[in-house]
Parts: sequence; C-alpha cells; structure tokens
Amino acid sequence: MKGSDNQEKLVYQIIEDAGNKGIWSRDIRYKSNLPLTEINKILKNLESKKLIKAVKSVAASKKKVYMLYNLQPDRSVTGGAWYSDQDFESEFVEVLNQQCFKFLQTKAETARESKQNPMIQRNSSFASSHEVWKYICELGISKVELSMEDIETILNTLIYDGKVEMTIIAAKEGTVGSVDGHMKLYRAVNPIIPPTGLVRTPCGLCPVFDDCHEGGEISPSNCIYMTEWLEF
Amino acid sequence: MTQAEIKLCSLLLQEHFGEIVEKIGVHLIRTGSQPLRVIAHDTRTSPDQVKKALCVLIQHNLVTYQVHKRGTVEYEAQCSRLLRMLRYPRYIYTAKTLYSDTGELLVEELLLNGKMTMSALVKRVADRLTETMEDGKTMDYAEVSSTFVRLADTHFVQRCPLVSPTENSEPGPPQPAPTLVINENDMYLVPKLSLIGKGKRRRSSEDDATGEPKAKRLKHSTDNKEPIPDDGIYWQANLDRFHQHFRDQAIVSAVANRMDQTSSEIVRTMLRMSEITTPSGAPFTQPLSSNEIFRSLPTGYNISKQVLDQYLTLLADDPLEFVGKSGDSGGGMYVINLHKVLGSLATATLESVVQERFGSRCARIFRLVLQKKHLEQKQVEDFAMIPAKEAKDMLYKMLSENFILLQEIPKTPDHAPSRTFYLYTVNILSAARMLLHRCYKQIETLKRNVNKLDASEIQVDETIFLLESYIESNTKRQ
Repeated sequence: MKGSDNQEKLVYQIIEDAGNKGIWSRDIRYKSNLPLTEINKILKNLESKKLIKAVKSVAASKKKVYMLYNLQPDRSVTGGAWYSDQDFESEFVEVLNQQCFKFLQTKAETARESKQNPMIQRNSSFASSHEVWKYICELGISKVELSMEDIETILNTLIYDGKVEMTIIAAKEGTVGSVDGHMKLYRAVNPIIPPTGLVRTPCGLCPVFDDCHEGGEISPSNCIYMTEWLEF
Repeated sequence: MTQAEIKLCSLLLQEHFGEIVEKIGVHLIRTGSQPLRVIAHDTRTSPDQVKKALCVLIQHNLVTYQVHKRGTVEYEAQCSRLLRMLRYPRYIYTAKTLYSDTGELLVEELLLNGKMTMSALVKRVADRLTETMEDGKTMDYAEVSSTFVRLADTHFVQRCPLVSPTENSEPGPPQPAPTLVINENDMYLVPKLSLIGKGKRRRSSEDDATGEPKAKRLKHSTDNKEPIPDDGIYWQANLDRFHQHFRDQAIVSAVANRMDQTSSEIVRTMLRMSEITTPSGAPFTQPLSSNEIFRSLPTGYNISKQVLDQYLTLLADDPLEFVGKSGDSGGGMYVINLHKVLGSLATATLESVVQERFGSRCARIFRLVLQKKHLEQKQVEDFAMIPAKEAKDMLYKMLSENFILLQEIPKTPDHAPSRTFYLYTVNILSAARMLLHRCYKQIETLKRNVNKLDASEIQVDETIFLLESYIESNTKRQ
C-alpha cells in the first residue's frame, strides 16, 4: 500500500483481523491506542481508497462496523436471510410459514387417506427437514437462498404455533439430510382441545374484566358487550 | 374462598333454596365452623329458622357437623361441595347418556333431594316416568330398580354414612349429635328389596269423576304408612365418580383430536377397565396387558391383535405421553398417565385462552416460553421470528395479565438493572389458579344476566373442571 503511513497500516491490520464480523470504531481505538480524530481521518482515507467498507449492524441500527471491502458480512451482522436492509421481513417469514405448513398438512392428509396399517400411516405423515427444504427451494418463492437451518427455524415457529410436532430419529451418517447422526422429522397435528368454554362468552375477552363488579360503573347488569352478544 | 366464589355460592343458594338458607349458608362460609347459638345471634334470625335452614343444608350434604369435647356441636360449610351445584345439569346429562331416561330421573331426584331411600326413590321415579308415557302404559318398579342397581354397581350412587350401631349400647349420657360411619365394603351394597308395583299416574280432575270412590282413596293413603323395608339406608350421588367420568371423556376426546377414532376407542376401553380399580387422584391407572385390552374391546371393532399392538406402541411413543409402557409381560403392559394428561389439558386450555384473548402471535410467544422454560427478550424475538417492537408489546401485555412471569437473575450483589438478566417464564400452576378465579367471576356475571345463558355457563364449567382437576392433582402430588 503505497502512500500510507504506519498508523494506517496498523488500522488496516486490525480491521483485517476482525474478519467478516467487522469491528466497531471504538474497538479500533482501544486496540491501536490512537486518538479519535486520527482514527476518523484514517478510516475516511481507507474508505475513499476502497480498501474497507462500513456495514450497518442489524442488532443496533446506529452502530457501524468496518470490514475489508471485498468481504461478505457475516449473518450476525446483516441478520441473515430474514433481514433485507435492516428491516425484518415479516411478510416473507409469514409466507414461508404458511407454505411449510401446507406441505406438511397435505402429506399428513395423504397418509391418512391411504388407510394402511397405523404404523405406516404415521411414518409416512412425517417429513424430514431436508424434504421441506427441497420443496421450498423448488417453489422458488424466495429470492434469497435459504439453507436447511433457515427452514428449521421456520418449522420451529410452526411448532410454537401448536400446528406441528417434531421428533428426532437416529439416522446413519451419509443419509440425505442427516446432521451429526440424527434427523429431524416434522408432522402436522391437530390441537387436542377445541377453543375452551371460558372464551366463548364476552367476559373471556373483555378488556375491563378486572374492574367489573355489581354496583360499580362497569357492572354485569349494564355490560354493553353482553347486551350486544345476547341480541344474537 | 375468594370473594368471587362466595358471591357465586350466595347466588346458587338463593336460586336453589331461597333467602334464609342463603343467609345462613354464606355466613357459615365466611366464618368457618360455628355452633347453633352463635349463628342465630350473628345473623339475627330465630333459632328455629336457623335449625330449619341447617336441616336443609345438611340434607343436601352442604354442611357437616362435628361434636367437640365440651359437648358443643359446630357446623361447617363444605365450600367446594357448594360450588358443585353449578354442575348438576352436567351430572344429570351424563346419567342420561349412560342409562337413558330412567337413569336421568334417578340422578335428578337424588341431586334435588340430597339423600333418599331406595324404595322412595324408585317409587318417585316410576311415577314420573309413567306420566310421560302414553295412556294406559305404566312403568314397572323392577325396571327402575334394575337401573338403580346398575348405578350402584358402577359407583355413581353410594350409601350415606349411618348412625354407628355401637353408639346406643355405650353407657353414659347420650351424645348431643350422632357420629356417622360407613364401611368401605358396604358403600355400594344394594339392599335386597322386592319392590313390586307400577308407577301411578297422577289423576287429573276429569278422571276423578269416574275414579275410585273416596273410601278406596283413603286406603291408598294409609298404604303409604306401611313400614318401609329399607328404612335408614339412604343413598346419595357420588360426585367423585362423575368427575372421574368427565375426566375420562376429556382424555378420550383429546386422543381422538390428536390421533384417530380407533386410538380413542382403545383408550376408552383402557379407561373403562380401570374405572373401579384405580383410586381417584392416582397418577397412573393399573397396568393393563395388551391381551386383556384385546379381549375387552367393544364388539364391532374387529381389528386384529397385531394392529392393536401397533396402535398401543404408537400411543406409547407419541410425544404427548398419554399412554406409557410399563412392562413386557402379557404382550406388553400399558398404563395411562393421568397426571400428565391433566397437565397437558390444562396447558392446552391456557394456550387456547391466550390465543383467543391476544391473538395467534401472542400464542406463539406463549408456547415458546412454555417449551423453553426461561428466555431472554432477545431470544424470544429470534425464536418466534417476530419483529422486536411487536414482541415486546405482546410480552408486556401478557405480563400485565399474569400469564407470563419475569424472573430476575442478578449478576452483581447490588441487583443493578443493567447488570441483571431478566428471563420470561410461565408457571402453569399459578396461571391455572388465576384463570380458575376468572372463571368463577365470569360465571357469577353470567348468572346475573339471568335466563338466557345456561348453555354458556355449562361451557365455562367445562374449563373450570379441567383447571380444578389439574390443580387438585398437583396439590396431591406435593
């Protein structure tokens, strides 16, 4: 690097060491013991020479980390497939969520309709994370390339929605989709109870339930939700 | 008892028995056990009226008495039994589904009268049934008796405790109040009566004109004064057994929802086989071998032994853990995990409430925290894939309604907020208790908007039943 002095070389070295996670300007200051004004001048210099670049971190949107120009930023900085330009792509996640669920649901339906003995029925209603990943890739709804872990995080949200259950089975090393000797299987399920009786009446969803008592301003006898509901 | 429960009891007592009984009953709930004079004094009612009210309450098993050392008798209200009055319609409906109209009327009469002798009960039910039948037909006592015997055999009705026979032979002054005892073996023993007769239709005024002459009618009334053969043996409805039945129903429908019809039939068979052998409150049913289950399957379900074995293995392997395998003899021994089932049903109820109240994204966060036990704010956002702002909003909303709790883990002894971990967690037991309290308050509100809401009361009562069984099973465990 011609034309740069020792200080610039030092800063460049520090940034190179940070790899693709990048480093914050304050951390550069600690590591090099240079004053703030010097650091800023050097960083501006390096940026104009197109040797380093600044990337906004998704964790703290005001923070900028510096890394070498031609490096791809790491997922922890950009947020991975779910963030595009610092915005969490909720719609994208929702669409993927629904597609995965539909896939698992149809698989369970076909398994149930085949009417074979129950063991086979159950086993064929399972889909491994690899299968779901292949299906989503083939659908082509994602502009960004998704890895199997990405699909697994989506499938986990389906588990938290109570729509899907997961089991882990031991798989031989080398079978398609197995990680570290086991495979994750997913299956669409129904909830075990219908919506409970408590919430089928207006009181169950009332926002001022705790303030309601006989003789008060909000009371059972003059409840507007109740009158509306009774008019049905 | 909480305020909401006391208000509910007062409404129930008033509905069933009237104002005086309500006053005495609520007073007893509030003050615990008290002797007669104190009750009369505190409620400012005459001792006569108090006596009558107490009679009514004791007859219906809502109040018990105890003789103390100094010879005073104190009366105590059975709070949980009072709340069961809400569930009378469900008990009667269950009897109807199991034993048709005869069973329904038997249980109804028993619940409305508290305690009755078998002969009086059979006679009354036969008369009622005869009314509903076509002209000229009457109900035979034998049929009603046989239904009653079946109710006793399946433990839905039980004998009331009797005066102990040794008491009268003891020397010394007689006790102010008898102590009642009942032998375990005798509780379901039906006395050998030969009740012969047919139900009598109540004659309308037109019939009287062509009816029997007055002399004969007088003779009928004296017939009733004959000594009743089973005098002193009173029967009452066994509410615990009904609760067991409801619990079994909930389990079977949960299995049907999660798996398929055949699995639920298998579970129903297993529950039926352990009806009488498993004590209430036990964590597991008795182990049943696969051969026994195969023999007891209802006719009409011709599945082969291998298919049954496959279903049992599937049930045992299911993540829900409703059925467990406890051994390999007899083709495999299987038990039903009752406590686990109640826990799962209570959890599902909580999740359903969160979903309906706050939305499905909140439900996702709730289930997430439930499964992972303890989570930080950032982890919640990452796992649930919900943007940070929305996730925060939902967590705080659930926190304010006490569905989710916050656990502080300080890094430094001075508990400085910037150096403390704040973890979100769900405690099912306390959330269940909170929800139960809400249910009671809700039923009280529904009751005040009278007449149109019986169906919704029953629905809320279903939730109450699930939550109460779960809390009871948990407290017994501890």
